Amino acid sequence: MSANPEKVVTENVTTEAAMDSAMDTFHNRAHFWGRTTLWVLMVMCLLPPLYLSFVLDAHPGWGVIGGGLLGYAAFVGIMWVLEPITYYPTLGVAGTYLAFLTGNIANMCLPCSSAAQKAIGAESGSRKAEIAGVFGIAIASLVNICIIVLIILGGTYILSILPPSVEGAFNFILPAIFGAVLGQFAYKTPTYGVLAMAIGMGVFLSPIFGLIKIVVCVALTITLIMLIEKQKDKKSNS
Amino acid sequence: MGDVLQIANSAPFWIIAFIVVGIVMFQAIIFLRIAKKSAPDVGMTQNEVKTAIRTGFISSIGPSFAIAIVLVSLIALLGSPLTLMRIGIIGSAATESGAATIGADAFGTELGGDDFSAQALAAVVWTMCLGGMGWLLFTALFTKRLGKTQKKIEKTNPKAMTVISSAAMLGAFGYLASEQMISSVNHTIAGAIALAAMVIIMIIADKQKIAWLKEWALGISMALGMTIGYLTTMM
Repeated sequence: MSANPEKVVTENVTTEAAMDSAMDTFHNRAHFWGRTTLWVLMVMCLLPPLYLSFVLDAHPGWGVIGGGLLGYAAFVGIMWVLEPITYYPTLGVAGTYLAFLTGNIANMCLPCSSAAQKAIGAESGSRKAEIAGVFGIAIASLVNICIIVLIILGGTYILSILPPSVEGAFNFILPAIFGAVLGQFAYKTPTYGVLAMAIGMGVFLSPIFGLIKIVVCVALTITLIMLIEKQKDKKSNS
Repeated sequence: MGDVLQIANSAPFWIIAFIVVGIVMFQAIIFLRIAKKSAPDVGMTQNEVKTAIRTGFISSIGPSFAIAIVLVSLIALLGSPLTLMRIGIIGSAATESGAATIGADAFGTELGGDDFSAQALAAVVWTMCLGGMGWLLFTALFTKRLGKTQKKIEKTNPKAMTVISSAAMLGAFGYLASEQMISSVNHTIAGAIALAAMVIIMIIADKQKIAWLKEWALGISMALGMTIGYLTTMM
């Protein structure tokens, strides 16, 4: 993430243009398939409630459905808009389509995406990183759905043969995932890691409305790091 | 409640659930293919593609099991096929249980109560399915716009996206880690151990040039963090 202005200048102009058009092709394909799969999935999501209401004649009434939806919107509705925007800079176009269809963005998709990027040494935000991240998330999505199907079909049996200590350890998987990912980004720029953690703590303890805390945190961190990088650029240029 | 679960576990719901599973798999495979096609154009070698895939595989096993462990609590409420379909796509066990409670509330009953009728189940399913659609709808409609905004930013400042991308990641995980680590001493230890393990593994992998170690970095740090976090509860 450190400033490297020379690199941009010396990069071959023709390959740069070729790369751009290759990425455009990739994005067009991603938009097409991403949108298609999302729309088909939305239709599928309507089938179970429609089936219950109109085939099994168990319609609860539109007032009840409206009330439920309103309650849901009050519960997490703001995240419908804020989450895709917050995670877009790290997921990219294809990553967004994948992650918001399969779910588990913070606890699976993003960690797998960044792990894949770091494993091949791609600089985050670069085109190479974007493609590497897509591999990471797509494979994670496949692994996840296979394990879920396995657990559903195998039922509680598979989980009952797990010793209780394993289940106990899984209580700590979230802090472990989040700590590890933070470490992955912080090890080359420890100051930024400490800064992000400090902002995180500060925002967490502040009286901001719970759901938007993470958004505030991301916005603050981006702004501060951009400012610091700008200062660095000025210094190296003068 | 028993009759309702019988309805929820009937064949039509299984069929719909497996179509949803099919869509998730189909999308993942399609994106793997188009990414593979574009990989050489961005300077990714065949080996790097394999490395990225292996890393994704290793890193996703732990989180997937964690997700599977919590979904069991939903089976008792919704039956297997609806649980499969809701957890297989966007929406965590926490959001879905919240949605189920809200739906039952709107109908004026309680989840798993004696008076939980087929209509109550319908109210719950409507709430979960319509509510979860918010994310799908937004991404389907606005990802293109987000892509255009990114291109505009890149045009005026080619370096900006690199900085924004890792800063956004740091910001999100700085918050998520804080939120988790603050909840108990054991959580703090789990997070701190995972963070330290990651830094050490990455430094060793860089210094000794052990490429495969980076593929395992997330898996190992995660396992170490959660194991040691758990062991400290025994003391």
